Amino acid sequence: MTRVHKGSRRVAMGLLLLFSAAFVLPFVWLLSTSLKPIEQTLSLPLTFIPWAYTADLGGKRVEVTLDFQVTQPGAVVRFLAGEDAGKLGFLGARQLASGSVPATVVHPVAAGSWHVTQRLDRALGEEGPAPLWDVLPRDRIDSRIRPRWDNYPRALAALGGDSASDRDRVGFWTFLGNSLAVAILGVLGTVISNAIVAYGFARLKWRGRDAFFALTLATMMVPFPALMVPLYGVFKALGLIGTLLPLWLPTWFGSAFNIFLMRQFFRTIPEELSEAARIDGCSEWRIFWRIVIPLSTPVLVVAALFHFIFAWNDFLGPLLYLTRKDTYTLALALAGYQSQNGGVQWHYLMAASAVTILPVIILFLFAQKTFIRGIATTGTKG
Amino acid sequence: MTRAEGKRLRAGVAFTSLWIVGLAVFTAYPVAASLFYSFCDYSILKAPVWCGLENYRQLAQDELFWKSLRNTLFYAGLSVPLGTAVALGLAVLLNCEVGGRSLFRLLFFMPSIVPVVASAMLWLWIFNGKYGLMNGFLDLFLSPFGLHGPAWLADPSWSKPALVIMSLWGTGNAVVIYLAGLQNVPAELYEAAEIDGASAWRRFIHVTLPAIAPVVAFNAIMALIGAMQLFAQAYIMSEAANGNGNASDGNPARSTLFYTIYLFSTAFQDLRMGYASAMAYVLFLITAALTWMAAQFSRGRYEDSP
Amino acid sequence: MGLAARFSRIWSKNARLPLSPLSAPWSKPAEENRPAAPKAKPPEPPLRLSPRHKACLPLLLAAALPAGAAQAVHVTYWEKWVGFEAQADQAVIDRFNRSQDRIVVDYSSVSHTDRKTLVATAGGDPPDIAGLNEQNIATFADAEALLPLDDFIRRDGMTNTEWLSRYYPVYARICSHAGHVYAGISTPKVMALYWNKTLFREAGLDPDRPPRTLAEFDDYSRRLTKRDPATGRLTQVGFLPQDPGWWPWIFCSWFGGKLFDEQRVTFASDPRNVAAYDWIQSFTRDYGLDNVKVLSSEFGPWASPSAPFFTGRIAMVFQGVFYDNYIHQYKPGLDYGVGPWPEAVPGVTDFAMAEADVLVIPRGARHVREAWEFIKYVNSANPDARTRDELRGAELLDYLQVKNSPLRVWSPFFAEHNLHPHIAMMRRLSASPNVVSAPDLGIWQEYYREVISSFDRVRLLDATPREAMAFSQSRLEKSWERYRRSLERHGQWAALGETAP
Repeated sequence: MTRVHKGSRRVAMGLLLLFSAAFVLPFVWLLSTSLKPIEQTLSLPLTFIPWAYTADLGGKRVEVTLDFQVTQPGAVVRFLAGEDAGKLGFLGARQLASGSVPATVVHPVAAGSWHVTQRLDRALGEEGPAPLWDVLPRDRIDSRIRPRWDNYPRALAALGGDSASDRDRVGFWTFLGNSLAVAILGVLGTVISNAIVAYGFARLKWRGRDAFFALTLATMMVPFPALMVPLYGVFKALGLIGTLLPLWLPTWFGSAFNIFLMRQFFRTIPEELSEAARIDGCSEWRIFWRIVIPLSTPVLVVAALFHFIFAWNDFLGPLLYLTRKDTYTLALALAGYQSQNGGVQWHYLMAASAVTILPVIILFLFAQKTFIRGIATTGTKG
Repeated sequence: MTRAEGKRLRAGVAFTSLWIVGLAVFTAYPVAASLFYSFCDYSILKAPVWCGLENYRQLAQDELFWKSLRNTLFYAGLSVPLGTAVALGLAVLLNCEVGGRSLFRLLFFMPSIVPVVASAMLWLWIFNGKYGLMNGFLDLFLSPFGLHGPAWLADPSWSKPALVIMSLWGTGNAVVIYLAGLQNVPAELYEAAEIDGASAWRRFIHVTLPAIAPVVAFNAIMALIGAMQLFAQAYIMSEAANGNGNASDGNPARSTLFYTIYLFSTAFQDLRMGYASAMAYVLFLITAALTWMAAQFSRGRYEDSP
Repeated sequence: MGLAARFSRIWSKNARLPLSPLSAPWSKPAEENRPAAPKAKPPEPPLRLSPRHKACLPLLLAAALPAGAAQAVHVTYWEKWVGFEAQADQAVIDRFNRSQDRIVVDYSSVSHTDRKTLVATAGGDPPDIAGLNEQNIATFADAEALLPLDDFIRRDGMTNTEWLSRYYPVYARICSHAGHVYAGISTPKVMALYWNKTLFREAGLDPDRPPRTLAEFDDYSRRLTKRDPATGRLTQVGFLPQDPGWWPWIFCSWFGGKLFDEQRVTFASDPRNVAAYDWIQSFTRDYGLDNVKVLSSEFGPWASPSAPFFTGRIAMVFQGVFYDNYIHQYKPGLDYGVGPWPEAVPGVTDFAMAEADVLVIPRGARHVREAWEFIKYVNSANPDARTRDELRGAELLDYLQVKNSPLRVWSPFFAEHNLHPHIAMMRRLSASPNVVSAPDLGIWQEYYREVISSFDRVRLLDATPREAMAFSQSRLEKSWERYRRSLERHGQWAALGETAP
């Protein structure tokens, strides 16, 4: 650690605060949008707080949306002639004064008043009576902060996209289950297979070991796209396309990165322990199982965590191998979140995204130290 | 081979048998097959037919291939230096004796584990031309001048910069690595420099930077390799931002057509897998060259003493 | 409770979807008094290993495996529809499932059906039936992704010609490629001229007499174009080529041009195609590019009340048989007429364009015989149906989706009590000898993209038609060469070359 002057320390603190605010702001925005009703996501100027507005309309106290502000004074009128006869409308002062549109004044409106519409919790296209509306001064409209928690269940219900019938519908729990299955089976495979293989490289001496290990390292430089096409062919030949198997089966056969990681760690376990056990007549497997593994919890946990995060976040794999909606993982379902008539439902999309992020954040908060240590090791040791 | 050697060999092979299978089936065979397919006319529905260098010749003349390469290099050329600078800067700041370091480190690191789909959707929303946070923030500075933020992902000139900005949000893991690297710099070096009368800045230049240069270089090259394979964010964002059009068109105006996206769409939408394999091999060669360079920088780092 | 009322009830529960056209006033209450037959319970599906079960195989090895008794075969059917079209399809599926107990068709709504079907077929896990757009048949067939239906037809005792004779010729052509039958029609479309009668009246034109020739069309269009005297901006146009702009290639065919002739791309080399695009560009030139841009910026989406044809901004459009549904939903009360395309080439009367959604059996599907049975059902009908309950197959589906039937023979009920107000015109056009469909070309998707690109450049005055089309043609020629070489390499060209378009 460098020794720093107090002044520089303060500057550093200030900069860190600034940057951390920048890093956290997107999360705040995510949360804020997910708790707003749709019309407040699509309004300017930008706000972070979800409001609920209520006003007296037609004698009833109802929730309303703030639509737009009226810039000129005028009045709410009832039209007397033409195709809108009998209906309510709004006329500006100039139009009223000119008398060109026959209408009776219901109540006058001052400049700066807000046009409000009754908020009906109806989905697009549903039928019913037309919503009430009015043009009111701001002080006649009450506001309170009200986060819309029900955005979350609705967003998750819509995750499966449009479907023709209830039989066809795929729900959030299916996607979650698929993601969990792939992640957990992958973690098991990663931990078990790589521990075994790394033991072979780290604790045993045998002919060709180092050459084989160098080959293993070399495979780390093969980018996945270079393997994609033939690997797809392999899975097709095995009849596994369209199932979740291609996403976790390979983890049961080792991976270069994890072999490397675990080998590093195994080599730090004193050889004397193994030697003593060998002298006692233990087989290698017993040494592995009884001595090395119990001492290796840190690296096993790191490998498990890394793989869980990878599997949970994986997009290209599911995109490649999954064909039917009921096998989709959460990542793929979220990516296919369709925009409905009238544009993207940002509040639902952000809510669904938040739900996808949550498990990872929770896992991280519980296992921070392990994470950080693991990342630091892989990065600095190269 | 002696009997003892033979016994050890069998044990070694037994323990690494899973990996032998895995290596053969999931790495060695695909690498070889990819090479073979790159010389073939192959759609997975029809058997491969040898066609020599045809795919590579076509690749050289394919303007979309070059465009995707240019897009990828542009993105990598922006995001890697910027990302490294930001990560290093943050690591240096964290390395000063400030309070609450682990909290800061947490906040910087968290975005890097967010699922890429979720962060793509979030940044799509942030970069919304009208109601997004980015333009809302920029307008604070721009509107006095009558300017307005660009359309970001809907504008071909700004779509890649938007992706670069998004990638900066995820530099948290590099921050952790660099911080660890900084903390590994022996204190004696600093003390010696201080005794020689070097100022903080000169200490940074002459002690800190050279000490962490290998770590930075290694990670920068790893980041470069990753940037060259950018797929998910660009795929999701161009599909969603442009009204569910074909994601692999890299709209708008093919500005987000990156190498892996083009590869993917050629292989799995046009079913031209031989051609895609040729592209894959080109990527492999580029990556291999970069990896070799990275290995030079960290030589001696993972060859542990026996 | 009537079928239509039941639809609108189910459908409003699914309230994000557009209004069914089958709710009043289109539904005729008197006929709906008879309650619909109760839905029979589908037979219990046999215990199958779902993909997820397969994924957890190691953990579930001890679990019970399928109880072997022979049950109905379940056929997976991927289709693009949601909303009322899906419900219409489901009604047909229900009727099919009820009519026999060997096969149960399971409808699955899948977005981007064409792309996903190709990928699933490539991966070896395709659905048994897929609902595609007919313009993909050639590509998919050449890619060996589709199972030809010839064998099924033969086993049912017919030749291809006999099978195809049930359709109007254009639909028969749509279902075939390279001398084989690859698809059955699920729903057909035919495109006609739609005009706004109110605007015709205002312009002093006879509202019941659409333009009959190209010259008249241009004349009408001029007379239906209005500008704001103060600003010179357009307030109304007679015709705007880019609305809806989904089939910019049709203008070439309309002018008598060929897109592909004798194994060669002729987009730019056929002078009639260039003439068509000169005509397209003339609109922008007459109106003024900026005026067009300003006017178009006010257009809403085509399926909304603010669509330009609905708001009276455009007086004449070329649209399809499905358009009446949308008019009824978004602008009921619009006074409009439907007629054939004007005569552009002298002597070629009753020109129209036909398209279709089709049903195919992907290669590698597991239940091909059963899939064929369903396709056959949807491509037959009850020729004697006199009531709605007697409708079967194609006519039931097309009746509920309010489209025309591709079959030559129409039952009395379908012909006379159809919900579509202009069904007779649609029938006339689909039967016309001059109706065209998209070329049966393996590189059609790319061709289509090039046509759109040229169309946009031409109508935005970005290039002359000759330049734009020549550029597209040179790219397409290269693509075609490459495609053809690939087919030769795989030994497919010989069979294809003889029957190429």
